Amino acid sequence: MAMRIINCILTALIALMLFTSCEQEYTPPKSPDGPKYVVEGYIEAGENPFPPYVILTRTFDFYGTLNPAQFTGSFIHGADVSIKDGDLEVVLQEICLSDLSPELRKEVAAQFGFNPDSLAIDYCVYLDVLGQLQPQQEKSYDLRIVTENQVITATTYIPKHVPLENIHFEAPPGSPNDSLAQLRCSISDPPGVRNFYKYFGATNGGPLRTSFSSVVEDLFFDGKTFEFQLFNPKTTESNVDPDKFGLYFVGDSMTIKWCNMDEAHFDFWNTLEFSNANQGPFSSYTRLQSNIHGGLGIWGGYSVSYYTRKVAY
Amino acid sequence: MALKAFLNQHMRTTLLRCLPTFIYCFGLIISNAQGNHTLSGYIKDKESGETLIGANIHLDMDPTIGTLTNTYGFYSITLPEGKYRFVFSYLGYQNLIRDIELDTNLTVNIELVSGIEMKEVVVSDKEDEADENVQSTSMGRVSLPTEQIKVLPSLLGEVDILKTIQLLPGVSSAGEGSAGFYVRGGGADQNLVLLDEAVVYNSGHFLGFFSVFNADAIKNTTLIKGGIPAVYGGRLSSVLDIQMKEGNNQHFAAEGGIGLISSRLTLEGPIVKERSSFLISARRTYGFDLAQPLIAKTDFAGTNYFFYDLNTKFNYQFSQKDRLYLSGYFGRDVLTVAQRERDIQFKLPYGNATATLRWNHLFNDRLFFNLSAIYNDYQFRASFDQEQLHFDVFSGVRDVSAKFDFDYFPSTHHQIKTGLQGTYHRLTPNIVTGNAGETEFTSSAKPKFGNEFGVYIQDDWKLNDWLRINFGLRGTLFQQTGPYTSKITSKKYGPGEIVKTYSSIEPRIYINTNLGVNSSLKGGITSTTQYLHLVSNSSSTLPADVWVPSSEIVKPQRGWLYALGYFQNLQNNGYEASIEAYYKSLHDQIDYRESFVDNSVDQVEDEFVFGKGKAYGLEFFIRKNKGDLNGWLGYTLSRTDRTFPDIEGGRVFPATYDRTHDMTFVTNYTINPRLTAGLVFIYATGRTFTPVERLYVIGSNLQTDYGPRNSQRLEPYHRMDISLTWIPKGGEQKKFKSNWVFSIYNVYNRKNTFFTYTDYTTDLEMGDATIKAYKVSIFPILPSITWNFKWQ
Repeated sequence: MAMRIINCILTALIALMLFTSCEQEYTPPKSPDGPKYVVEGYIEAGENPFPPYVILTRTFDFYGTLNPAQFTGSFIHGADVSIKDGDLEVVLQEICLSDLSPELRKEVAAQFGFNPDSLAIDYCVYLDVLGQLQPQQEKSYDLRIVTENQVITATTYIPKHVPLENIHFEAPPGSPNDSLAQLRCSISDPPGVRNFYKYFGATNGGPLRTSFSSVVEDLFFDGKTFEFQLFNPKTTESNVDPDKFGLYFVGDSMTIKWCNMDEAHFDFWNTLEFSNANQGPFSSYTRLQSNIHGGLGIWGGYSVSYYTRKVAY
Repeated sequence: MALKAFLNQHMRTTLLRCLPTFIYCFGLIISNAQGNHTLSGYIKDKESGETLIGANIHLDMDPTIGTLTNTYGFYSITLPEGKYRFVFSYLGYQNLIRDIELDTNLTVNIELVSGIEMKEVVVSDKEDEADENVQSTSMGRVSLPTEQIKVLPSLLGEVDILKTIQLLPGVSSAGEGSAGFYVRGGGADQNLVLLDEAVVYNSGHFLGFFSVFNADAIKNTTLIKGGIPAVYGGRLSSVLDIQMKEGNNQHFAAEGGIGLISSRLTLEGPIVKERSSFLISARRTYGFDLAQPLIAKTDFAGTNYFFYDLNTKFNYQFSQKDRLYLSGYFGRDVLTVAQRERDIQFKLPYGNATATLRWNHLFNDRLFFNLSAIYNDYQFRASFDQEQLHFDVFSGVRDVSAKFDFDYFPSTHHQIKTGLQGTYHRLTPNIVTGNAGETEFTSSAKPKFGNEFGVYIQDDWKLNDWLRINFGLRGTLFQQTGPYTSKITSKKYGPGEIVKTYSSIEPRIYINTNLGVNSSLKGGITSTTQYLHLVSNSSSTLPADVWVPSSEIVKPQRGWLYALGYFQNLQNNGYEASIEAYYKSLHDQIDYRESFVDNSVDQVEDEFVFGKGKAYGLEFFIRKNKGDLNGWLGYTLSRTDRTFPDIEGGRVFPATYDRTHDMTFVTNYTINPRLTAGLVFIYATGRTFTPVERLYVIGSNLQTDYGPRNSQRLEPYHRMDISLTWIPKGGEQKKFKSNWVFSIYNVYNRKNTFFTYTDYTTDLEMGDATIKAYKVSIFPILPSITWNFKWQ
């Protein structure tokens, strides 16, 4: 985190100097090797877990624009997708939004953070529809996908959950402002083991989102009770007034989804967030660290808990 | 204790094996020298008393019999008894011819008169000089007097030594406007940058756009990109040896300038005339200072950025045989970012400090001795404060070093150098400390320690009229010491306890075969070992990048350089030309693993992968040294690549700084005594980069999938800069001199790509995404004006 802030400020310093800079658009060359498979799948244990699911797509070439047909066309249909927890092997069923009843469609779309009325692409997932699998903490889960004669595999582990504590709102730092609040909370990090955390946030019942920096490991605070601020993901977006960065609005309600994950899962999000934040004049590329064998993406386990509060102090 | 440790293991065995040979050679040389007489002394600038480094002394009747002054301006030449006509010469100075009867040992101090005082053209009238580049064994060695650097066009008027050396063949820039440089396919950390013998670990200001070397305080710059003599060690690719001025020991003088982004002032003068002098030189930027009244009215009041340099030097001549030098450098970049509304304060100071104490002693006319005590400290610090959150990041390198060197001039056939150096290193990785509310936190990284020793001997041996050999041997030893806890065995080591020892014997051999008076064929082999490493995850090095020592995890980098060159001087040395071919093999190279994330909480060594590299190329160079029009043309055809088993399965990929073609044209022309024009043109193959090949959706956002590392190139880089130096009426007075330098950087406004980035706008609900890739160029046509003055 510290180095990210330093990098951001160094980049800002450069930006100050680049007032004379000039941008030219260009088109990168097309890959000679064709598309790759992309897996995005999660399995949750803990409070109110979402059923295990996998989204299977193909990569796009670098186009100037992508349209709904291209997005819809990127989903891979008819794959054999299964999850094994050591003893039990469960085959996931492919479901597309267009197959669902309006009620179910609304429910599923909300879970993925979409407004079902404005969704222009036909979203398809492989899902444990019947709820055969009951994911548990401190257990590993193997994913196996067979499609177009290719085998894609991955393994993830759901660690023991470490809940949030002492969740409260405070006045933001700096100039007094009674319409904004910062969310503070703490955790009691278990000593001696590496723990990896991620959070999602939502306000007023909206979809859960992640901020630009949503993951952290405990190397700084291993075994300690550690207090920290959690940003409001919505106010970390680039179009928001910098004075409101990361803050909540008094009177809103907020929901935090707090997750533990294994190292490979953390590495994926850590490299993803570093890569997105680290574009600039001195940046090198960062390849996302995937646990998928035979493709890109992530097969990630979470142990989760949810916290809903009214924004007030 | 340190010396005892040094003489152990392989080093002791090898040195003991070699010692009888050295003693025999010494004895042979000394016996051959009996019955001869020695002419010795110092060669100085008449006006300032500054000693001249690399000045030439040779016999008028036979230019091949001669020698050069050493780093301290001392020369010694031993000849049979007789009457000789000696020629003393130095680039840009009027030659001095003196008849001397050598019937006893003589000490003659020579004062040369500069032919370029405040004129803007360095006319190296080398007609009477010896063909040093043809006669000597040195390869890939270029000396640049500062006055020569000052007449070339510069970015925003800032005269920059590091940017000038990038104009030499085999040297490439780290990027547009960058003072960082790469030599013959080596990494940025493989250049040994010395300022009065002290290592400068970060030679850039403002993220590397300007070098830390204030040209007003610098006397001489020597770049050795090939045959690194045994006297130097610790880096694989090159040596940049920069000597500060000593200060005028004749009279008080002031020099300075006012430019667009900085001003500078140098004061120098005698403390005791002709025995002692001082120099104090300062430079500071002020762009943001001028903007403070505007910034103060915004939410960012208190935000500022500046950098400054302070160079000082004192020297005292106790006797004809003893002289003491004390020199120092202190420079800092200081960035402060404040935002009142959010109660944010961010401070980022970083920079170097060096100090060198040297004692020169003449044991006799042929034996020169120097003892140096050297201290250098590079610190990078960043702090962030916002109400309950505070953190500090600190990293740095601190060295304490002692060395002694002997220069022995037994005859005109031999020049022997030997010496010993010991350095204690303390290297601090990024250590993060801070607190969030009442919880304090600190990263697990700890400083690392090491002892580095080097012993060397070299002889520049002239066997006959056509064959000359420079044979050198450098033995090095590095000890990683505690306090340290082994990552392999978990053993805890106490302070000073040895954790891991590495040693190396590095032969350096160069042979010069004269093909005629004006041409020669040279070849050489250089072995080098590097115990400290800087690995950057950036396209260029940044101030936050950390140096790490060799350790139980990180092996020393090792390199071998093979070079062959043909050297030809034309038209009475009016032109010098060379073609050099080189092949360099690099072992135990270091890079970050793929998917490395710089989060400061890990030990960076855990993120390293190790591999090998190679570089090879052809360098063409022709320089015109005399007349109103002079300059050089350089061209390099080269390739450098790297292989790491843990990166892309061991695929061989070109290094970021691989340039197939690199051409520079540098010239200046004296239009009249008050007007000089300068021009620089650069053309180079585009830098390699790793392209975005595919896109995919994760978490409702587009992500990038990159192609093979460095598999694409930017478009070719080219640029032309021009300058005009004008001495106004009255500007050439004896007491007060001044000139105006008008410079235009990138005169035809070439949009060279500095970096690329991609920008996505995604609305997955609507199934829309706009993806754009951009190339960004930073320096368009940039005019600048600088006023320089000198009062004496």
